[in-house]
Amino acid sequence: MSDDNVLSPRDPWFRRAVGITAGIFVLTALGGFIVLPYAQPELKVSGLWDAICSAAGVVRTSSAQAPVQPDPKLTKVVITSALPATPAPDAIGRGATLAQQCAICHGPTGVSRADSPNLAGQYAASIYKQLADFKNGARVNAIMSPFAANLSERDMQDLAAYYAYLPRLPGYHPQQSQPAPKIVINGAPMRGVAPCGSCHGALDNKTGSPWLEGQPAAYVKAQLQAFASGERRNDISQQMRNIARRMTPEEIDQAAEWYASQPPTLIHTN
Amino acid sequence: MLNSRRLVLAHFWLAFTVFGLALVLGAWQMFIRSPLHTWISNPEWYYRSLTAHGTVMGYVFPTLVAMGFGYAISEVSLNQPLIGRKWAWAGFWLIVVGAVMAMIPVALGRASVLYTFYPPLIGSPFYYLGVVLVVVGSWIWVALMSVNLHAWKKANPGAPVPLPMFANVAGSYLWGWTAVGAALELLLQILPVAFGLKSTIDAGLSRVFFSWTLHAIVYFWLMPTYIAYYTIVPRAIGGKVYSDTMARISFILFLVVAMPIGMHHTFADPQVGAGFKFIHSAFTALVALPTLLTVFTICASVEIAARMRGGRGPLGWIRALPWSNPIMLAVAFSFVMLGFGGAGGLINMSYQLDTTIHNTQWITGHFHLIFGGAIVIMYFAIAYDLWPHLTGRAMRDLGLMRLQLWLWFVGMIVTTFPWHWVGILGMPRRMAYYDYTDPAVAPQAVSVMLSAIGGFILLASGLLFIVILLRAQRAPREEAGLYRFSAALHPPVAVPALNSYALWIALMVGLTVTNYGFPIAQLALRSDTSVPAVYVGANP
Amino acid sequence: MTTQDHDVEEARVAERVERRWATLSIAIIVVLAGAAAFAGIHQATMPQGRVETIQPQIIHLSGEFTEANLGSAAEPDGSVTVRAVGQQYSFTPQCMVVPADTPVVFRATSPDVVHGFLIQGTNINTMLVPGYVSEIPARFKQPGEHLMPCQEFCGVGHEGMWAKVKVVDRTEFLTMSSKNRRVTCVE
Repeated sequence: MSDDNVLSPRDPWFRRAVGITAGIFVLTALGGFIVLPYAQPELKVSGLWDAICSAAGVVRTSSAQAPVQPDPKLTKVVITSALPATPAPDAIGRGATLAQQCAICHGPTGVSRADSPNLAGQYAASIYKQLADFKNGARVNAIMSPFAANLSERDMQDLAAYYAYLPRLPGYHPQQSQPAPKIVINGAPMRGVAPCGSCHGALDNKTGSPWLEGQPAAYVKAQLQAFASGERRNDISQQMRNIARRMTPEEIDQAAEWYASQPPTLIHTN
Repeated sequence: MLNSRRLVLAHFWLAFTVFGLALVLGAWQMFIRSPLHTWISNPEWYYRSLTAHGTVMGYVFPTLVAMGFGYAISEVSLNQPLIGRKWAWAGFWLIVVGAVMAMIPVALGRASVLYTFYPPLIGSPFYYLGVVLVVVGSWIWVALMSVNLHAWKKANPGAPVPLPMFANVAGSYLWGWTAVGAALELLLQILPVAFGLKSTIDAGLSRVFFSWTLHAIVYFWLMPTYIAYYTIVPRAIGGKVYSDTMARISFILFLVVAMPIGMHHTFADPQVGAGFKFIHSAFTALVALPTLLTVFTICASVEIAARMRGGRGPLGWIRALPWSNPIMLAVAFSFVMLGFGGAGGLINMSYQLDTTIHNTQWITGHFHLIFGGAIVIMYFAIAYDLWPHLTGRAMRDLGLMRLQLWLWFVGMIVTTFPWHWVGILGMPRRMAYYDYTDPAVAPQAVSVMLSAIGGFILLASGLLFIVILLRAQRAPREEAGLYRFSAALHPPVAVPALNSYALWIALMVGLTVTNYGFPIAQLALRSDTSVPAVYVGANP
Repeated sequence: MTTQDHDVEEARVAERVERRWATLSIAIIVVLAGAAAFAGIHQATMPQGRVETIQPQIIHLSGEFTEANLGSAAEPDGSVTVRAVGQQYSFTPQCMVVPADTPVVFRATSPDVVHGFLIQGTNINTMLVPGYVSEIPARFKQPGEHLMPCQEFCGVGHEGMWAKVKVVDRTEFLTMSSKNRRVTCVE
């Protein structure tokens, strides 16, 4: 078998192939790592080594300095899919006890009779974030703010775990009678409005976004208006303000009513 | 010798069945996002369909064609029964199981992450596991091709390996190595997160791994096509291969430089250094070399056939070609599409031009023209050529075959040319719908509509193709005679370097280390580049 | 002349023709690579020069991508820096404003998944990968409005992720930035 000889430095094919390949590599590397970095004035290379390092992509960590003072009245919560950490074994029980003080507005089973948001089955991350925002003032509400002020970190986590554990109201959308409004399923692309459903249920969910099916229309509408006017600002990096600002009053109504839709029987027995 | 007919037929039938299904999805997507339809009532369905279409067309269909054709090549060109047929069946069933396993979560909307995966988006683990099984099944084929070649070499010491097998094994090695990038991404990064063992992932690193696979996979798709150019076309039109050596050099160049160039897909990514991008760009230019060589050799081979048929004059010989022969028609169409697609590719590979069209509809137009056009039309030709030998039945629908190829060619041009155009206008990729009423988007509406019509022409052609194969399967039995590949004008001489792969594999791996080593090592060793996963479809 | 001689002669001719074609092919490729290098040197159109990392979960808490710092900032050297965030499923600010005929640098990142940053009608086109900062130098020739769609699949809702870039007269921009340290055209 002649195969083995090819891999020897004495074989002319070997010498040529390796030589040409190495030559091309060296030539392009010289171009990419030295000539081109120096040719880019905005790169401001400080020397040969810096040129090579920047072209190789040696990582620099972004400066944590803020050129403009961050607004202290914005949310401090960090939302990731890893949240919430696994709740403590007694979290739901503890949360249930704590939740007794919430029942007046949010209902004994987490389903409100007073146009306050339904909390039953709400994502834990969502509940935790809102409580934390009320507590540190990123979100303000005459009733909620004083309640949240006294909650500890553990309290907020347990409340979130408890409400997430309760069965949620399912979406109720008898197909013919009420087709989903465009804003919920298609949004308004040219205004930069993604479909409500891509984060809030109907299409998909985004971590940290609340489940809106069955929420009182008045509540959803009020929040959208508050986001649009900038009165509510606890959404991370203007995520919701971007959307609400560009929604028409009709679209706000349609979205609120569509999500609020519930079977007639359910509304009365609650 | 073609003993494993059932094995080859099983691969081809499965390939073309899933191709037909994915084609329906493709045409539906073209239609649904065009101005011919109102906005889809659930955009999630669009991305679901897109994931299925891409996964099947990218991973399952071409892999099966390459495998089936590879087994046929091994038996016919080496004239020896396939060693390890049981293993080959095992590989086939792994692909069946993998494809089904991947498609179930996709159909349920639990893995709408597109076939390019896009972490930190994370879907159902079964989707990724299914894809891994498909790849593992194809690796069995890679091993079998190597085993069969070695057995032949042992029996024929010093003899030149027949060109079809030489190219086939080069293609299998290329695939074996290029699949490693995506395999590393899936096994080390995505699956642990999908199973919930980890909750963070380095999205930048995963894009680098994926680029390792993403470009060379196109050359893996291309291999059966190039093998057909060299070893089927000249024989089918009554000519000979102009140069056996040139063919070998082309395949070796593919093996060496098709893979360490993938970062031209990440020109716009912030996690890779500009120096490496430039190196990859230059090596990408190099990969045009084997294609230019091939174009020359095949044109020369075709001219030889024409002159043997009495063609004269500097260009007059073109008329003497057997245009009623579907293979002739297919290769002509394939070359035209390769020419346009290749020209577009030159734009993508140069950083300065790429910024204009990066991730726009231009890119989708480009790879549909190259893969769906130039490559797949030769898959049809391969099937037409092999079918009588696989089924033992005559194939008499020559008229239908020509119509099918014409439809595919016209459909592909009508689909992809407007697609390129809207890309230049800046139309982004992979959106379920566009607001054509907006004055800034309105100029794209007509082009998108044309594209959708092209999509339906393609669908008609694809279905016609399956009808032709089915009809042939029911035709009267007829002995098709011995299957053979094209002969070379000048019989090959055994040049050791062009008869084995060791040197070229060493160069391929070496270039992987130089071109990918540092970017991968740096990101893999840093812990601060991992970001939280974003799970899709888990809580609809 | 025997047939064998004839064959050898033919093979030699074939080899010569092949060699010529191969040389031509290589020349084409060298020209292509050379053109890329030339454009890189003379128009300074090269990929982002440095790799910069950032922790995506906390960009809203500190550093340059906090809400108060997003938008266009006039720099002392007369250039303008535009900082933006691409997130599921919007850009912030959703309307960016830049002066015409002025060096502009876009700095952007993503807190969640991969997004695309493409300003139609320009060559400004890059990826936003969570964990990394993308930086693109640019210069707009004349006032006007550009659409800015996300060009990478980022989940259901991707189709609704469009922003705008407004190019205004330099003096108009300076008036705007004298009132606000960070300028946007979000109404």
